[in-house]
Amino acid sequence: MRSSADSAPSVMSFERIVDDYQRRLYGFALRMTGNREDAEEIVQDAFVRAYRALGKMSDQQRAELRLQPWLYTITLNVTRNRLRSKRPSNVALDALADPDAILRESNEGPPQPEAIVEQNSEIALVERALLQLPMHLRAAATLRFIEGRSHPEIAEILNQPIGTVKSHVHRAVRILRRILGPQIGRFSSEGVPLHAMS
Amino acid sequence: MRCRDVEALWDELRGECQASLKETVNGHLRACPSCQVMYEQYEGVAYCLSCLPLPQPSCDLAKKVIQHIAALKGKLSAPIVLSAVSTPVGRLYVGFKADRIVYVSLDTGESPHEVAERAQRRLHRRVVRGDAPAWVVRALDRYFNTWTVDDATVDISDLTPFEQAALRAAARIPPGEVRSYAWVAMQIGRPKAARAVGRVMARNPLPFLFPCHRVVDSSGDLHNYYYGVEMKARLLEMEGYRR
Repeated sequence: MRSSADSAPSVMSFERIVDDYQRRLYGFALRMTGNREDAEEIVQDAFVRAYRALGKMSDQQRAELRLQPWLYTITLNVTRNRLRSKRPSNVALDALADPDAILRESNEGPPQPEAIVEQNSEIALVERALLQLPMHLRAAATLRFIEGRSHPEIAEILNQPIGTVKSHVHRAVRILRRILGPQIGRFSSEGVPLHAMS
Repeated sequence: MRCRDVEALWDELRGECQASLKETVNGHLRACPSCQVMYEQYEGVAYCLSCLPLPQPSCDLAKKVIQHIAALKGKLSAPIVLSAVSTPVGRLYVGFKADRIVYVSLDTGESPHEVAERAQRRLHRRVVRGDAPAWVVRALDRYFNTWTVDDATVDISDLTPFEQAALRAAARIPPGEVRSYAWVAMQIGRPKAARAVGRVMARNPLPFLFPCHRVVDSSGDLHNYYYGVEMKARLLEMEGYRR
């Protein structure tokens, strides 16, 4: 009889997967949580889950596996579970229904992204704005613009239709535009011109 | 094209979209100053986000992960031993590793080989057959005398956090009493997950010891049980349950 202990990948081969993806997954988890310790624990948990799951897969399933989106999906699921257990009442604000709710919320005490950047730089402003988004919009915007994933890739990671992904990306940007307001221009004046069209 | 329709296409311009689509959007933007301003802001936000640096994890994160994996690999490679033990509810097949019970199955006439295969599929671990050590017999004796599981003799750490929470909540139901799936869901802070709790109970790898038989539907109906509703009723009756 075959068991996960027999079919699990070797620690050596898994080490390479960890090396290749730890930084990207950590960055993603950090942007989802805004907390360095949480992000590290999430990444550890995600890799352990991935290792266990690989051990339960057949050779064919492993051959057909698209590793990168799968690892992001696991990381996102671990993040959701963790945030749910820590903040059960933190139901996502519906940005489309009331984008101003997020702005009001931000005036009452936005999450502080000290974990990501310490100094009060333009980058900190953007990080702070990102953390004010509801998680589903933050995930879509992070994957689209920071990770540079395509709509189909994001749809696969989030297990959502492409139309929903596009809508979430769009809503996220609309809210960020309102939060950042004139700060957007500060970025463009740093030397890289913003252009409307090619 | 209306402004709203064009706005929905902005993000498409960032990728490789059709030239005709690009021209349609660009044409609208050239003719509509308010959309032009909004689009520039949109591009500005996208640009701000793309400028964010990739954060660096602590230098020992990979090492910690690999240590964890190596320990897990060792844990997974140790087989689970499956033994048959007689109890007041019938003969049980009991799977254990080191000093913890991880699997229980009522003997329903299947061959030991079939039971071992089922245990292996459920636990994703290698299963071998062997004799029950004295501590396993004592643990079961104690359970069927007190109807209370001793946490120090069982291990459900291989299950998901949700499964563990649901089974631990079920273990808090006093012997001879029943609670609903919804009650268990409330106890673990997932009030909408009553159906998921039902699935956990149906797949409980330690029936009897983690008393899924004390979980019933909201109307008080015994609902269902892996070994049949009659066995569920019998267990509750043995515990002193009065409907």
